[in-house]
Amino acid sequence: MPAEELGQLLSMRGFELAGIETAGGSTVVDLEITANRPDCLGVIGLAREVATALNLPLRQLSRGAPAPLSLASLEVGNNELVSVTLEDADLCPRYAAAVAEVTVGPSPAWLAARLHAAGVRPINNIVDVTNYVLIELGQPMHAFDLARLAGPEIRIRRARNGERSTTLDGVDRALTPDMLVIADANRPQAIAGVMGGAESEVTTSTRFVVFESANFDPKSVRITSRKIGLKTEAAARFERGADIGAPVLGIERACALLEAIGAGHAVGPVVDRYPSPRPPRQVLLRRPRIARLLGQSIPDDLVEGYLSGLGFALAKNAPGWDVSVPSFRVDIAREADLIEEVARHYGYDKLPTTFPELREPPASSDPRVDRDRQARQIMTAAGFTEAITFSFIEAEAAARFTDGAPPVPISHPLSEKFSALRPSLLPGLLESLAYNRHREQRDVQLFEIGRRFSREVGERRTMALVWTGTSAPPHWSGSQRPVDFFDVKGVVEGFCTRMGVDTSVARTKRPYLIDGRTAAVQGRGTELGTFGQLSPKTAAATDLPPQDEVYVAEIDLDALDAVMRGMGRGEGRGGRDSTGQRVTPLPRYPSMVRDVSILVDDVLPAATIRGTIRSAAPLTLVDVREFDRYQGKGIPEGRVSLSLRLTFCSPERTLTDAEVQQAMDRVVAALTREHDAVQR
Amino acid sequence: MIDAAELDRLRAEFADELAHVASNRDLQGLRDKYLSRKQGVIVGLLKNVATAPAAERPRLGSLANALKLEIEDKLTQRRAALDADRPSTGSVDVTLTVRPLALGYRHPLTIVREQVEAIFVRMGYQVIEGPEVEDEYHNFEALNIPAEHPARDMQDTLYLGTPLGSGTLLRTHTSGMQIRYMETHQPPVRIIAPGKAYRRDNLDPSHSPMFNQIEGLLVGEDITMADLKGTLVGFLRQLFSADTRVLFPPTFFPYTEPSADIFIGCLLCGGSGCPVCKRTGWLEVLGSGMVHPAVFEAVGYDPERYTGFAFGVGIERLALLMYGVDDIRAFYENDVRFLQQFPS
Repeated sequence: MPAEELGQLLSMRGFELAGIETAGGSTVVDLEITANRPDCLGVIGLAREVATALNLPLRQLSRGAPAPLSLASLEVGNNELVSVTLEDADLCPRYAAAVAEVTVGPSPAWLAARLHAAGVRPINNIVDVTNYVLIELGQPMHAFDLARLAGPEIRIRRARNGERSTTLDGVDRALTPDMLVIADANRPQAIAGVMGGAESEVTTSTRFVVFESANFDPKSVRITSRKIGLKTEAAARFERGADIGAPVLGIERACALLEAIGAGHAVGPVVDRYPSPRPPRQVLLRRPRIARLLGQSIPDDLVEGYLSGLGFALAKNAPGWDVSVPSFRVDIAREADLIEEVARHYGYDKLPTTFPELREPPASSDPRVDRDRQARQIMTAAGFTEAITFSFIEAEAAARFTDGAPPVPISHPLSEKFSALRPSLLPGLLESLAYNRHREQRDVQLFEIGRRFSREVGERRTMALVWTGTSAPPHWSGSQRPVDFFDVKGVVEGFCTRMGVDTSVARTKRPYLIDGRTAAVQGRGTELGTFGQLSPKTAAATDLPPQDEVYVAEIDLDALDAVMRGMGRGEGRGGRDSTGQRVTPLPRYPSMVRDVSILVDDVLPAATIRGTIRSAAPLTLVDVREFDRYQGKGIPEGRVSLSLRLTFCSPERTLTDAEVQQAMDRVVAALTREHDAVQR
Repeated sequence: MIDAAELDRLRAEFADELAHVASNRDLQGLRDKYLSRKQGVIVGLLKNVATAPAAERPRLGSLANALKLEIEDKLTQRRAALDADRPSTGSVDVTLTVRPLALGYRHPLTIVREQVEAIFVRMGYQVIEGPEVEDEYHNFEALNIPAEHPARDMQDTLYLGTPLGSGTLLRTHTSGMQIRYMETHQPPVRIIAPGKAYRRDNLDPSHSPMFNQIEGLLVGEDITMADLKGTLVGFLRQLFSADTRVLFPPTFFPYTEPSADIFIGCLLCGGSGCPVCKRTGWLEVLGSGMVHPAVFEAVGYDPERYTGFAFGVGIERLALLMYGVDDIRAFYENDVRFLQQFPS
């Protein structure tokens, strides 16, 4: 069968094809093995898959078999050349060992070639045999030089405090009592399941070896391997769950290979420390469940063919089969696992394609999804382009933008740039702004809707914007003006209003904004966010061009939603989830507009003036706004000339000039009285 | 010597020069050349006629006058034509540059996410959201990913230095939200959970530590793998095209059993093999599977009664494929020249 076809066959059974190469005259098919199939980290596991797929018998290793498939015939018992004591059966459920008399030398060409093809470097015939068994059966093995083992004994125990070991790679490592070691009478000679020690390494002068073929607890091997920072082929197999039935098999195979290559032979029995033998797992596979899960029933003969091919033993019963799970399939624990085995060999593509019925009306989506979409629409309509920035930023940048509490750090961050969770969306947006400014973009308007993270308020949905350049794109018909505070205020107020909440604005301070150009926006007494002009110091820290005026705003969307939800019927202003919205009747009578210009102190907030006017005016005042503001030539120092337009309208009748004049007189009188205003 | 042929020659010459007139100024110049009383061509012509033999004079004179009238006529016509072309007062040069419509743009990841959401909402799915900072249980254990298990390697996690509420890590997938939903609702379940997820991946052309996902979950009394196939093929054919080919190779996820990856025929080469599909002819787009009974047990659903399927898709991956972007970092640089290329 061509390699490509083989690759295809296996990839459609759960083994993604990583590549096909030729190495030393043979074709090598490289496959990705998923974490649940440690049995396929040995060629035999894959051979089993191929045999099942092609419905061919798998040739088994056995004692009587000819050379390529032979196993040594060894008795099981104590070996007088080395004593083996299993002290910790939790971390090592099974330990097999055998002694062999050997002549250490290079491996024969065929063995070396196979190792090369598998990506393993040949070292000497003994080590190579252990690696061959690893690749062939997926069973890690190790060889100790018997002469170097004090005792000679092998003790499988936890490391003691203060013990150290120099592993085969020459690195001296500190050991801790949670690590399992293979020790001789005096000291550790291998870190169990991970790597052997240098001291008892097999060399050309070795005459007798002790083969180790064991099974180690996956969790322990994983923890140890991570702790000492050593990832090995052996550890990879033990972590995923090696075959508890394989230790003696590995020894027998290794000894048979030893003989086959003329490198030596076993001496004495194989020691098998297996205090708590595990019976095979039994799983009930019910026929109707197969169809229930897959959408189609699979004929019995196919089910039996696939499962027995894969090594399962089946006994038919009334509902289906009692299935005995082979020890190498550590991933099979329950019925669904068996159904997957059947399905993947049957072929998912052969299953029908149906569509699930909808028997109930679909539920509404989370309202926040629609709210975010609405927010996005408003901002794009206002001319802002959406950015998406990282949720983690430099800790230093984060500190500049927190609401008081220190930023939440990332543990072992990937880099300094990603070392803390963002307490605000602004640092990321400003970085994007700077990125664009450095690429010839003069006018940039960006917004982002995302989460920010604070120790005080947790995870919050937020909208933030950054704006620099002109207030409108440059045009030949007139002069441009740069964006200013009132442009941003307009966007902030407009945004909140369109999201359903009318807001008011008050002066505030923020360390990253210019004092005197910073405001907080509130709705119904709840603070919703802040906006203003970026301070030059912050701008410089963000690598923005120094002459840029940058305006920013940040609104807490969760707070906005809370305010909206708290509003009563009829108070809602818009937004898809406001109920009981009432349409305001249109005015039926014409309005009267009057202008007034006053001279007042320039520190007097416009809101105060408007407040005084509203209080003094009758209810027919429907609008008051400034339309001109002037300081400078002809105006005394500390004063400002403010022109306001007042609009009066009654729902009952047309107002008379006299009434409106009377209202204006009261307004002017109030302004003069309260604010020392002088009418111009 | 003046004669009919000479008149014709003058006529032709005038016609040629008139054709080159482009402005009023040119026209005036031409008028002066031919009709000027002092040195105009016509005046010269008439003087010549006066020196002709007496018998010829009446005939030549009348031909010359005819030519003069012709020339005057043509000049007047031309003048009128030029005047008609000039814009009258108050009209504008319609070709001048505009004040552009100042609409902003949605981010391409938003566009793709909303497209995917729309397809599933049409299939009756409900969109849910959840926290980005999660706890171990909702992100791992409830999904059948125990501690100290190699399956966790598939999801190298970013942990917080200090907990935020009950959360200790940045979620590695949006599946936690599905667990939370199942804990608080009874079946049937038909949900999709979009959102950001985080992994310990360095930022490079094809990986990012932060990415956007949509995961889906359907649970009911008789949901099968055939339904999973139908749903996802239906989704892919709406997102891409009606004849998109789909492949279901088996794979492994701890929270589904059986599990399948979903590949589509390469959008670029159609399956013949190219660098985009790494010469396989197929592009991986989704992960999926039947919900593992252990997950049902964790949320209190009876696995004997209920079955379901789950799936997950990476938004960046889809956007890369749909828009031909070749570097994932482009999505986070927010270069407006990039962002403004996407439809709104």
